[in-house]
Amino acid sequence: MFSVDLDKQSAPVVDNQFSQQVDRTVGEVSKALLGKGHQIRLALCCLFSGGHLLIEDLPGMGKTTLSYALAKAMGLEYTRIQFTSDLLPADILGITIFDQNSGQFQFHPGPIFSQLVLADEINRTTPKTQSALLEAMEERQVTVEGETRVLPEPFFVIATQNPVTLAGTYPLPESQLDRFLMRLRLGYPDQRAERELLEMNTEWDKVEEVSQCLSTADVANFRKRSAEVNASPALLDYVQRLVAYTRGKDDFHYGLSPRGSLAMMRAAKTWALMCGRDHVVPEDVQVILPAVVEHRLRAATDEDGHTGGSLVQRLLSEVDVIS
Amino acid sequence: MDINYQIPRAALLWILVSVVLVIIPQSIRMPFWLSAVALLCVGWRLLIFSGRLDYPGKAMRVAVVVFTLIISVSQMRNLGVGLESASSLLTLGFVFKLIEMRYKRDIYVVICLSFLMCMVAFLYSQSVLVTIYIAFCVMVIIGAMIALNRSTLQADHRSTWRMAMRIAAQAVPLTIVLFLVFPRIAPLWAVPVQTSAGRTGVSDEMSPGDLSALGRSNELAFRVQFENGPPPLHEDLYWRGLVLENFDGETWTRRRGRSAYSGAAEYANFQFTWRDRVRLGGEPLTYNVIQEPTQQPWIYGLHLAEPLSRNIYQSRNFEAFNNGLIAKRISYDMQSYMSSQTDLILLDSARRRNLDVPQQGNERSREFAQQLRSSVNSDRDYVNAVLSHFQQNPFYYTLNPELLGDNRIDDFLFNTRQGFCEHYASTFGFLMRAAGVPTRVVVGYQGAEYNRFEDYMMVYQYNAHAWNEVWLEGEGWVRFDPTAAVSPTRIRLGVEAALQDDPGFLDESLLAAVGRFNWVNTLRLRLDAIEYEWNRRVVNYDEEVQFELFERLFGEVTQQKAMLLLIALASIVILGVGMTIIRIEPRGQQDPVVRLYNRISDELAKVGLERRKGEGPLSYRDRVVASKPELATVMAELTDLYVQISYRNQAADSGVDRQQFAALQSCFRQLKSVLSPLRQRLS
Repeated sequence: MFSVDLDKQSAPVVDNQFSQQVDRTVGEVSKALLGKGHQIRLALCCLFSGGHLLIEDLPGMGKTTLSYALAKAMGLEYTRIQFTSDLLPADILGITIFDQNSGQFQFHPGPIFSQLVLADEINRTTPKTQSALLEAMEERQVTVEGETRVLPEPFFVIATQNPVTLAGTYPLPESQLDRFLMRLRLGYPDQRAERELLEMNTEWDKVEEVSQCLSTADVANFRKRSAEVNASPALLDYVQRLVAYTRGKDDFHYGLSPRGSLAMMRAAKTWALMCGRDHVVPEDVQVILPAVVEHRLRAATDEDGHTGGSLVQRLLSEVDVIS
Repeated sequence: MDINYQIPRAALLWILVSVVLVIIPQSIRMPFWLSAVALLCVGWRLLIFSGRLDYPGKAMRVAVVVFTLIISVSQMRNLGVGLESASSLLTLGFVFKLIEMRYKRDIYVVICLSFLMCMVAFLYSQSVLVTIYIAFCVMVIIGAMIALNRSTLQADHRSTWRMAMRIAAQAVPLTIVLFLVFPRIAPLWAVPVQTSAGRTGVSDEMSPGDLSALGRSNELAFRVQFENGPPPLHEDLYWRGLVLENFDGETWTRRRGRSAYSGAAEYANFQFTWRDRVRLGGEPLTYNVIQEPTQQPWIYGLHLAEPLSRNIYQSRNFEAFNNGLIAKRISYDMQSYMSSQTDLILLDSARRRNLDVPQQGNERSREFAQQLRSSVNSDRDYVNAVLSHFQQNPFYYTLNPELLGDNRIDDFLFNTRQGFCEHYASTFGFLMRAAGVPTRVVVGYQGAEYNRFEDYMMVYQYNAHAWNEVWLEGEGWVRFDPTAAVSPTRIRLGVEAALQDDPGFLDESLLAAVGRFNWVNTLRLRLDAIEYEWNRRVVNYDEEVQFELFERLFGEVTQQKAMLLLIALASIVILGVGMTIIRIEPRGQQDPVVRLYNRISDELAKVGLERRKGEGPLSYRDRVVASKPELATVMAELTDLYVQISYRNQAADSGVDRQQFAALQSCFRQLKSVLSPLRQRLS
């Protein structure tokens, strides 16, 4: 069976400002997270597309490291919220407290007022708190005590989720998973990377070594330019065939939503830009496809929502690229 | 039915154009007023469309029916029940249908009638030109049907026309197959003879002036192709038609009445004695004649022609007849023994017939003949003496002779001395008979124009000629041509050369005037060659030829074989139709670039490197190159171009860049050439 080799760069890379910047950033982040170039690239693609990222993996696989290293490399203001079952929406958004010195109510912004927010173990908190975060992600503004406050620009949320030991957790429902542009799995490091890891002093040291190589303006530029990338009719045909395939089959519990197909296009365009091209080729779509649609698909027989991967492999192998 | 149905503008235009087109061949033949009525109806229909006139009311429609009836009855009285009256009735009905064409159903009636009118046109003529014209008409009618079924949004004339042409082109293979294999059943009803069409060609009686009238006509009489060997010399090309034996002092006529032309008894009788009456000499010369319709039964052949085709029989005087009038072009094969002799023994009855001259009149000539005969020893010497008389005295060969008086022979022989072949033949015959030498007149054609493009000969009406046959002891009937004595050019080079400066010859024909230019002549010959081939291969494709073709292809034709052939052809047709239907669905809209790219993949599949379904062009390239490094350059170039065309080019409606597409095509060819050695190694 044919499948896209995730660690190989099959789409051609044109050497230009964008691809160089991406390469440099990936290089920097890789200092902290060894051997995960492709995942770093996808995470960057997600952020450049203006989407939010869900990292789902076992504890201790480097989820936090990735987000922190990304924040450092991109020079973003970074906060981390550890989600627990007793976390309240106000703990994220901020609260208004009466200041006795000034005799006034004063707003204390919560940790969400940051450019890059790491929402760690999002499934451990209650749906109420989860939805507060998701609303903020969607609207890029929060309303506290009747007052609407705009979140900083850029605004990224990297949420992490633990796929095992689900007892006492609140897994995100499909409707909320849909809000994340991509879902990534980091996976175990390969042998060489692990050896290197073991040879290092501590993990933390490595993150400190990550230096900033992108500015906020660069990130904004990526977002702006990715919208200008050309998607030809032939490519749109392919995307539509992919979407139609998920909608017409019995083994798919439900098809991809228009938000899903839009997400596919957005990510593919950004990926093309990151490769230095001004047009999308089918390979771009195929590279981002697992990350973008896995969490949006579920087999008809599936109970816990982890069959998206095999469905995506079917999409990749059975939908004709050229027809 | 929708009461407010309005015929689409574009469709109406197409229909009116096709109506006008199919009426044109009719209007050339029909009275002028019929075309006027047709135009009136077309105009009326246009006015109805623009809202200035209404559809005809009941009274009007009744009036039209009555008018048509009156016209048809009067037509039938004038022309008789025949093709003309029937087709003018059809034409009238056709054009009147136009003005009450209101619903789709009416339009379909008009369209069906248009097709019928096309068929009617073929009843009159089946020439190449008419066929091409009718094919064009059919395409326009198809266009009308397409326009009728298209929405107003797609009503683009050019695309309608293109579609019509495509449909017509798709029908061509089926047409050819049907033409070749459809059983040629003899018509269930006879096509009525064109009553008004004149009888053309040589007639069965000859009086002075008859042939010179033909001499002015440049219509084609027949075409001949010699099948075994080169054609004879021009001066030997005497196409015998009829033998005229009766002479009343003015007119030569054939022996018996017209009823004798179709006599099977004569045929049987003749077959019995044929071999006894001739002494064959020399190799037989076979040739094929395609004769234009003459409305007469007789056909033409060279000296002692023996018909090889069916339905042709021969008379006692070796004339050949078709079984029935020649109402359409016919083709027949003949065989001639050029140096044979006939009737070495002359029966008394025949001798009497061929010596018979009126008792009275032309005394001077009679005296002259008897004097001349007594001055020489043999009949042959006498013939030569008469011929040299013509030669040595100032006789002229002309199409415009002076009128002759009561004693025609005397007047011609001693006074005017100007005449066309019939004058010479007639006078010569009289002189011979007056001196007791059995003689008869033969009418037919002499000479031919050679067409080098298809290696055949054309005989025109102006080649019409009359000559004599004299019976000589020990030699039988011998051909003598007194015209040759007067004007040797006529016989050796043809009538065109002999009458070059004669004011009467072909003066009404523009063609003859421009015929002096070489290229016009070449063009004329070439066009005639096309027409000849068309007649030979298409128009004359009848049951017999069809049978021969089948025999050549499949050996002996049995009923079983015919059945199998029909079933096979039917299945091919059904399969073809089925395939088109199947193919129209998924592949109809396929982009040429994608098609080409798929062909590339098909080509690579032959070395086991087919593109997998979910494989993008770039990953496909990488996989191909990884397994066949020698394809690296061409695959890289090809993939670059494909990506460029399919994914890089901007707008959706700008179409494919021709240049890039051509480059992709050349890449494909290159790939094939690189692949072929690889494939050989594989096998």
